[in-house]
Amino acid sequence: MDLNLGAIIFVAILANNIVLNQFLGICPYMGVTKRVETSLGMSMAVVFVMTMAGIVTWIIFNFILIPLELEYLRTISFILVIASLVQLVEIVLKKTNPTLFKALGIYLPLITTNCAILGVAILNIQMDHNIIQTVVYSLAAAIGFTVALVIMAGIRERLELANMSSMLKGAAVTLVAAGIMSLSFMGFSGIMTL
Amino acid sequence: MHDSVKMAVTLLVIGAICGGFLAAVNAWTDPIIAEREQEEFQRTVGEFFPEVDEIEEEEIDEEKYFICYDADGNMLGVVGEVKASAYGDEPIRYNLGVNKDGEVVGMRVIAHEETPGIGDFIEDDDWVENQITGLHFDDPIAVDQDIDARSGATVTLRGIVSSIRSTVDLIGDEYLGFEVEVVEVDMDEVEDGTYTGTADGFAGEIELEVTVSGGEITEIVIISHEDTPDFWDQAEGETIDRIIEAQDVEVDAVSGATASSEGIMEAVADALN
Amino acid sequence: MATMTQEFSKGILKENPVFRLLLGLCPVLAVTATAINGFGMGIAATFVMLCSNIVVSLIRNVVPPRVRIPAYILVIATFVTVTDLVLNAFIPSLHAALGIFIPLIVVNCMILGRAEGFARKNNLGRSIIDALGMGVGFTISLTVLGMFRELLGAGTLFDVNITGTAFEPMVVFATPPGAFIALGILLLLFNVIYKKMGIE
Repeated sequence: MDLNLGAIIFVAILANNIVLNQFLGICPYMGVTKRVETSLGMSMAVVFVMTMAGIVTWIIFNFILIPLELEYLRTISFILVIASLVQLVEIVLKKTNPTLFKALGIYLPLITTNCAILGVAILNIQMDHNIIQTVVYSLAAAIGFTVALVIMAGIRERLELANMSSMLKGAAVTLVAAGIMSLSFMGFSGIMTL
Repeated sequence: MHDSVKMAVTLLVIGAICGGFLAAVNAWTDPIIAEREQEEFQRTVGEFFPEVDEIEEEEIDEEKYFICYDADGNMLGVVGEVKASAYGDEPIRYNLGVNKDGEVVGMRVIAHEETPGIGDFIEDDDWVENQITGLHFDDPIAVDQDIDARSGATVTLRGIVSSIRSTVDLIGDEYLGFEVEVVEVDMDEVEDGTYTGTADGFAGEIELEVTVSGGEITEIVIISHEDTPDFWDQAEGETIDRIIEAQDVEVDAVSGATASSEGIMEAVADALN
Repeated sequence: MATMTQEFSKGILKENPVFRLLLGLCPVLAVTATAINGFGMGIAATFVMLCSNIVVSLIRNVVPPRVRIPAYILVIATFVTVTDLVLNAFIPSLHAALGIFIPLIVVNCMILGRAEGFARKNNLGRSIIDALGMGVGFTISLTVLGMFRELLGAGTLFDVNITGTAFEPMVVFATPPGAFIALGILLLLFNVIYKKMGIE
């Protein structure tokens, strides 16, 4: 069986970036990217949660929901898994790295509502991944998320210093910047297909 | 302690009510959805063979083939539910109908991610009618031969045409009793030496060099190709190994990279003829 | 205490979820390539928000505060699944067009936000109005963005060809980068409008 792992990684990060191509994870993309540090911090948390969530939801779907013909419980079970995982990360982080915990503040529980995590979990099912492809894809997608966020944060830190009308500042110019980023990433599509 | 129990119970009760509600909604909608999907399917197969009465389903290489019979039990043809790798991130999913005489009766795209305005000609009934319908197993079924090139949509076009060629080959070979012809080579007629050959691969021309020594193919070296790296890599090593091991130009193509594999075989045949 | 009309209208202008609060952006960008898809998503999200606001408001005194978020998520996820199944059964074209963003309604921060921020503390009547107001505002925003992108990107509105052959559509607006840029432009426009109306 062809696992095509290299293609999966390339596509997830560059050719079909979950933020810039698939529109998943826009809320944190717009909200957290004011500084590179917070972006990195949140991205690390997302990498962990997304990979774990991908694995756990895949197992639940394939070993519990399908055999019991309960596929319609997919959305509910997936989001509950994700919410629990985030709680877990919160508890662990509070104990091991209180500074990061404080810095992330409200963004940590917000990971639950990060459409990217639920999105990737569902995508793994839709794309019929086996367990290995699921792990690789979830991890690669999270890395793609990180790449998109960190670059945007870098751009926004510069934009802070630029002169522009107050109408444009904030969300409007961020979106235009995002559009240009997305445009440049489009250059990667067509190089490789799954 | 009291609190924890109350919390757990609340969640469980809410969960149970939600679950029950959903089970009810699901029971209500499931048959409707299933029926609609059945209808859509009948419509697509019925589009190719209106007199279809019975359908036999087979799966080959993760793709489905529906052998259609009329009310008297005569085979009408085969509909392949297949995929074509083209420009988009996801392969084009389409149905191809081939009748029992080896003629393409139609093509219907189910899903694709080709660029709107450029690659979506595949959904155009006129294009299908003019370029695809009526093609026969014995026809080349190749761009610039019996199918017109489309500037600006090369990758999409080659992708779908290559896939149609393979599908027609497979259906013809498996179900209709046709034989996929890769040019035969009589090794006794070939003298020792090095020969160059070319043929069409997936996305362009393949050029390679074949060395014959002691009456046997000893080496095949690729000079150039234009195929997609990922698929080419799957096809190249394996196909060359198979040819040298079998000492035969015609070997099994590497599944998932058929066009590249067959291109290599044809180029070798070209070299040795 | 705000009047019913004020509760309703705030969702459309002052607290417009898309253009002011910047909530629920994922589906906003993804489904607005055409106006009808934007409209459809708006209606679906409004339905979910209405149902969940009703339920959350009804059970607000029964749910222990510490488990309220998981409880609300359960409720919202249930209605999202209902929407998913019903759309698949009765409007399959919309279901296919909205795709993965139907289940993603469950993480639409707008819906959880209203449940947590409003329905939890208000009676049934106000919660319903709040959901409707926000929903209408959301739907209008999505439809406007959809119309903008569809008109510029394909020359059509609701699948009806408006611009004829004279205008060459800028296909970029139908693609991801175009979505970002279109929203950015509209946001800019709305900021200007809001300023003129004296709303900060």
